[in-house]
Amino acid sequence: MAAMTGAVSPNNKSFSQWLRGRKGQQVMIMTLFMAIPLILLFTFTYLPFAEMIGFSFYDMKYVGARKFVGWKNYASVFSRQDCFGALKLSLYYMAGSIVQLVLSLYLATVLSFKVKGGNIFKGFMFFPYLINGIAIGFIFKFFYTRGFVFDTVLQWCGFQLDNLPYWLKDQSINNFSLVGTSVWRYFGQNMVLFIGAIMSVDAELYEAADLDGANKFQQFMYIILPSIKTIVTLNVILSITGSLSAFEPPYVITSGANGTGTYFVVMNEIAHTQQKVGLASAMAVVLLIIIFAATILQKLFFKYVFKSADDEDLNAAAKREKKLEKYRARKAGR
Amino acid sequence: MKLKKILALTLAAAMTLSLTACGGSADTSTETPAKEEDGGAKTDDAAPADDSQTAAPAAGDLTYASVTLGESYTDITTTIKFIHHKTDREEDGTIPGLIAKFNEMYPNITVETEGITDYAEDSLLRLSTGDWGDIMFIPAIGAEEFSTYYVPFGTVEEMSQFVNFADNKKFGDTCYGIGYMGNAQGLIYNKKVFADAGITTLPKTPDEFIAALQAIKDNTDAIPLYTNYAAGWTMGGQWDAYLGAITTGDSEWLNQKFVHTAEPFKDNGDGTGAYSLYKILYDAVAQGLIEEDYTTTDWEGCKGMINNGQIGCMVLGSWAIAQMKSAGDNPDDIGYMPFPISVNGEQYATAGPDYAYAINVNSSDENKAAAMVFVKWMVEESGWCDLEGGYPISKTAPTSFVFDGVNIVENATALAGEETLMNEMNRESELSFNEGGDAKVQRIVEAAATGSQTYDEIMAEWTQKWNDAQTACGIEVLY
Repeated sequence: MAAMTGAVSPNNKSFSQWLRGRKGQQVMIMTLFMAIPLILLFTFTYLPFAEMIGFSFYDMKYVGARKFVGWKNYASVFSRQDCFGALKLSLYYMAGSIVQLVLSLYLATVLSFKVKGGNIFKGFMFFPYLINGIAIGFIFKFFYTRGFVFDTVLQWCGFQLDNLPYWLKDQSINNFSLVGTSVWRYFGQNMVLFIGAIMSVDAELYEAADLDGANKFQQFMYIILPSIKTIVTLNVILSITGSLSAFEPPYVITSGANGTGTYFVVMNEIAHTQQKVGLASAMAVVLLIIIFAATILQKLFFKYVFKSADDEDLNAAAKREKKLEKYRARKAGR
Repeated sequence: MKLKKILALTLAAAMTLSLTACGGSADTSTETPAKEEDGGAKTDDAAPADDSQTAAPAAGDLTYASVTLGESYTDITTTIKFIHHKTDREEDGTIPGLIAKFNEMYPNITVETEGITDYAEDSLLRLSTGDWGDIMFIPAIGAEEFSTYYVPFGTVEEMSQFVNFADNKKFGDTCYGIGYMGNAQGLIYNKKVFADAGITTLPKTPDEFIAALQAIKDNTDAIPLYTNYAAGWTMGGQWDAYLGAITTGDSEWLNQKFVHTAEPFKDNGDGTGAYSLYKILYDAVAQGLIEEDYTTTDWEGCKGMINNGQIGCMVLGSWAIAQMKSAGDNPDDIGYMPFPISVNGEQYATAGPDYAYAINVNSSDENKAAAMVFVKWMVEESGWCDLEGGYPISKTAPTSFVFDGVNIVENATALAGEETLMNEMNRESELSFNEGGDAKVQRIVEAAATGSQTYDEIMAEWTQKWNDAQTACGIEVLY
């Protein structure tokens, strides 16, 4: 504080005078207001996290003595089959998230043009996101039960029950079933985000494109997609990191049994059933590093992909401007 | 000036917050006893009114044995209070119904009851305040504290003539608690399904059991064995409960020998031991004697299904009997049988009491006598234990719980100084026997259904993990 006083009050004002002045009040209020969220952030996020990193170097239970074991927990994360084996399941969820993004982008584009009952459709498709994840788990447990909802619907479509697989029992498809629930839940939310972004595109651009004879697909490719690329990038990154930490569907629907135990489910089992808190903490740290790496890689990837798009974009924007001018001139001339 | 105001405001806000926090917790902690006091006051008011008519029984003479139901203390007029954990039985009218029946014999003793949802926690708090009434179920307290809080029922030897498990809530040689029902480990089954399948004698060995399941599959439409795989706790939590005396005939095996055994999962060749226990599950799954889709089993649904005869049997403790009986129209079809493993031709079942009645040592003498009468009536005349499907407590009350020719044993506790070994082994080996190791039993079902592993491979894997854990924990191998 003394240093600050010296710096801010060159005219030999005393600290209290400075504090009473306009500048001092500003600094004071900013510090006070920032202190609360910062203290909360530190106490409830960074401090527990630092503790967890500390735990990962111990062999410990929730209660009782702990023993320092150095890097042993990290070594077992990499040597155990179940830890990294579980990460393979994330590939299913990543594939699902691509389907989810394509689907939501498509529907968002359709719905952002004039569609009859558009709002109702939006509402229906966003609705699943509002349901509690645990409730969704229970819904889909019954949905996939032999002879229940899904099988019945497929039978209406002419499928024979005998030809249908067991959606959760068959280990070759049960992960797809679980991914399906996750897509069903989140695509509506992605869609709403996309619609929001598409709304901000200048409507005159479509009109201009129409005049130039561009079809809807070209409009999407050259007007919509470049305009919403930030939100697309964001959604992709969120979905991929989300797939790495998939938890709710496998935990609630299959309790991670039958080959559906994702990394998080395995971590939960190790931490709570086996009480190997140190090992589970090490798993959490490793996952965090993986997620960091994945995010940075994606950032770099998108920078590369959209870089060329950016260049094009500049030209396209210039062209568009010209066209708009022409169009306006024509309108004015009429 | 402004600054001061801000500071003052911040301080004031902080103080108010901390104050409300304190206030909140203080409120909740005083609430329970405050309510309690009303009940207690009533009890005291009612008692002295009739004091003149009643010769107060001397406290020293009062024992369980000294009470003759229908004759002793019929002249007492008082109000006693009973706190318990069976809120469901309070709501469905069972407990009020029992009390009404009690009042036919003792019209002057009014029994107030209070069902407590979070009994295990709350009862401890209530016990320490002393304001809990006259009868309670003993919560988790040490045996050395029994005499501080409870009236003795008699010596263990004397009580053993009347009730089972008299030594479970003892301190020294004195019995302080009587279970309201017993729990025994066996199998829950549908009698009608077994009869329809042509099974006349209950299976006693794993082979006979698998044959019985096959008969159910061949002769009825019922699911022979419902695994309840999806619920999770119904796998590890239930199957592990048969380790020990039931599978080995040795009450010391589970808590004393298991951790020191080099090959606890080896095939004894005679249908005994842990190997045979889980092999029953593997074989049943491999031979298609379970539900079609085990991944979507439904715990709530299974109760109605076994009641209706859609399920042959389930591996559940006797606590589940009452739930299965009340889930449909055929309560009489639900039966309970000993686990189908015989050691040298003998079947074993482990059993122990559930919560145990105890009487407040600080109650007035009338209330103690009335409470003793009520407890004795509840144990011997009420039929509550049998209604819950429990293993009998009273040695004289009629019971529908038939475990003919079965040795009832209790697994011995761990040796002094070795209490934590089982937990350490469970943790290190990640098999978690009787500690939530559901995943390992689920994996048996998966392996049997998909054929990914043979049973012997699974057992070899477990043995390997067990031995590695013994090395890691530094546990000596003795057996």
